[in-house]
Amino acid sequence: MEPALTLRGIRKAFPGVVAVDGVDLDLYPGEIHALVGENGAGKSTLSAIAFGELLPDAGTVTARGTVGLVHQHFELIGRLRVWQNVLLGREPHKGWRIDEAAARAQVLAIAQRNGLPIDPNAFVDTLPIGVQQRVELLRELDRDPAVLLLDEPTAALAPAEIESFFATVVQLAARGTAIMIVTHKLQEVIAYATRVTVMRHGKVVERTLTSATSIDAIARAMVGGEVPPVAARARTELTPRLHVKDLCAGRGATQLNDFFLDVRGGEIVGIAGVEGNGQSTLADALAGLIDYTGIIERSGTMGIIPQDRQREALVMNWSLVENTLLGRQHRKAARRGLELDRVRARVDTAAICERLDVRAANFDVAVRTLSGGNQQKLVVGRALIDEPQFVLAYNPTRGVDVGAAALVQSRLMEARNRGAAVLLISFELDEILALADHVIVMYRGAVLGSFDRDAFDRAAIGRLMAGSA
Amino acid sequence: MNRSSRIVAGPLGAIVLIVVLMSLAMIVAGTSPLDGFRALFVGALGGRNEIGETLVATTALLFPALGICLAFRAGLFNIGAEGQLLIGALCAGALGAVLTVPGPIGITLMLIAGAIGGGAWGAIAGWMKARFGANEIIATLMLNFVAAAFALELVSGPLKGPLAAGAETAWLDPKYWLPALLPGTRLSIALLFALALALLLQWVFARTVFGYDLRASGEAPEAARRSGINLGRLTWLALTLSGAIAGVGGATIVSGELHRFNTQLSPGYGFTAIAVALVGDLQPLWICLAAFGFGILESGGLAMQASAQVPKDAIHVIEGLIILVLAARRYVATRVEGTLP
Repeated sequence: MEPALTLRGIRKAFPGVVAVDGVDLDLYPGEIHALVGENGAGKSTLSAIAFGELLPDAGTVTARGTVGLVHQHFELIGRLRVWQNVLLGREPHKGWRIDEAAARAQVLAIAQRNGLPIDPNAFVDTLPIGVQQRVELLRELDRDPAVLLLDEPTAALAPAEIESFFATVVQLAARGTAIMIVTHKLQEVIAYATRVTVMRHGKVVERTLTSATSIDAIARAMVGGEVPPVAARARTELTPRLHVKDLCAGRGATQLNDFFLDVRGGEIVGIAGVEGNGQSTLADALAGLIDYTGIIERSGTMGIIPQDRQREALVMNWSLVENTLLGRQHRKAARRGLELDRVRARVDTAAICERLDVRAANFDVAVRTLSGGNQQKLVVGRALIDEPQFVLAYNPTRGVDVGAAALVQSRLMEARNRGAAVLLISFELDEILALADHVIVMYRGAVLGSFDRDAFDRAAIGRLMAGSA
Repeated sequence: MNRSSRIVAGPLGAIVLIVVLMSLAMIVAGTSPLDGFRALFVGALGGRNEIGETLVATTALLFPALGICLAFRAGLFNIGAEGQLLIGALCAGALGAVLTVPGPIGITLMLIAGAIGGGAWGAIAGWMKARFGANEIIATLMLNFVAAAFALELVSGPLKGPLAAGAETAWLDPKYWLPALLPGTRLSIALLFALALALLLQWVFARTVFGYDLRASGEAPEAARRSGINLGRLTWLALTLSGAIAGVGGATIVSGELHRFNTQLSPGYGFTAIAVALVGDLQPLWICLAAFGFGILESGGLAMQASAQVPKDAIHVIEGLIILVLAARRYVATRVEGTLP
């Protein structure tokens, strides 16, 4: 069989780093091909080259038919309707005017053919995340691609949505589309992909049939060795640290309704939920950034790992040293007289980089030059450096590779073990199940259920996350 | 990055480009560039008096440029330095005309009055932004016109000097004149104050908590807010300080140069200062150098008009070109960086 997409000898260098270094890849019609690797391994660069967004320095890209790409961060226009988004730039028209009836019919037809129920007239910003992704997918499918590239397609989906998403993908492949999924969720690779390609430092280090490998083997190939285990859970004394009751805040879909929560020192409480169910409102209320009614009682110091490291946690043009002071600059210990204590800041930076294995040329380079994983580790290290008694961790391992994620999770577990209260808000259910002593399921701004560690029930939690009891 | 953009982006390339464009402007104005440049430099630096006038212009530009720098660093586009400078000068002139205290105290009081006047003018815009979310660009720009009309109204009536012919306050008692720095010229020790202020600001930005908060707010407002910085308070404070610095500048023009307040006292220093601050890359010490460069243009331009028949407006064309070249440089640099992973 002829491959639908052929990459030969692809090389792409950016100043200071060779992102992709001599990669060959074939995608065959009907296969689901997983591309995995640590942050900075070159996956995103390679898929951008395959899609034609980036030109390689060397090598050739040959595609038989169109190539479609579904982005990790949806590129939709929220204030337009579904059909307007799907057909953007290709609207059927009668003379000068868009033929709306024909457009809606066309979108319905693609949707039905692919088993993706949708209302073509709905405004995109009123749709849940899983349905928005369907819109993205439909937009690509309308162009009848021979090759479909999916970049972290399930990052924001609930377990049930993930299943129905993959049902569609499997069906597409069965009809002859060549599919490549860039992901770091190895369970999905094993469950749905036919072949897997592992990249490390810009090179392909392993290609295999998924039937002939395992999650552990893939993880080892990605890291180039053993994945460090997460720190063990120690027995702890529980002391009350955070008490939340009758909390109402925010508005619209992410409004909190009589939310309640207790986190004690020495435990990790996980908030399970699909993105957009009020987690951000909760985090902002706890951080004192928005108005609320109800009770929030917290004792002791607080360390925060915000959700969006680039926008909320870092000043991208600043050095590592300056960034380690952010959020800590008003403490007495940060000052010496009128000046910031720069010696102290440098010592702290060194400690953070050592504990979280942050890799940077030196402490004075701008953090924008670091990889996303190293930026995240810096943010985590900063939140923990002063040994806070309460830690608010919001997606602490988002977009971080397997090895770094294990390190971040270990540091959170160690904070718990030394007696800190840790509130873990995460869209990765597996992360919550691995770390938490207690899980609260959040749906539409309210508590829908809670589980102790000895009574974790993955299926039940997944159902509650989707809103069904 | 291709070859031509690499050349434009280099600092040497920018200087060469500026000289070429200036030469073109002179040719268009009907003068040989050689004569033009000679007239410009002789007029600006050719003698004691010329150097004095260049440094007077440098000082007049440096204060508002430093004020603008402070606001820009906080991410606030204060383009109201002209009005802030004018109100500062008005307050200093009005106070100086009625003072009866010893000289040094009087001068200090006048400078403080300038800071309060300019600061209040900046604070209005800051309050509008922090309280109502008003755009500070529009607010500061419009307040320039309010300041000009307000000053004219006052010095045409209640504050008009008893013997004054035009719209100006009474002359200051010579004991309230800032001491001369270069005897025989109009240059006062205000230049030293401006340089000291630049050093102070450099230190504030680089070393202090306030400077850190200010820069964080300018670079990444959301991250700054989450780090515990009260953005509303900082906006208000930054625009107030920015206006106060421009206002002190206005006071030094009154006390050091004109010895009275006159509505014509600034030929647009507050606007040119925006270019000075940007050319100086918002770094106080570089701004000192940029102010000197623009001071040469300001004072040499007059001489160029007199001896080489290049209209003084050509200087404004040149100032505009310099800003364009530097903006292009930054744009090219951003595009190049934008291609990084």
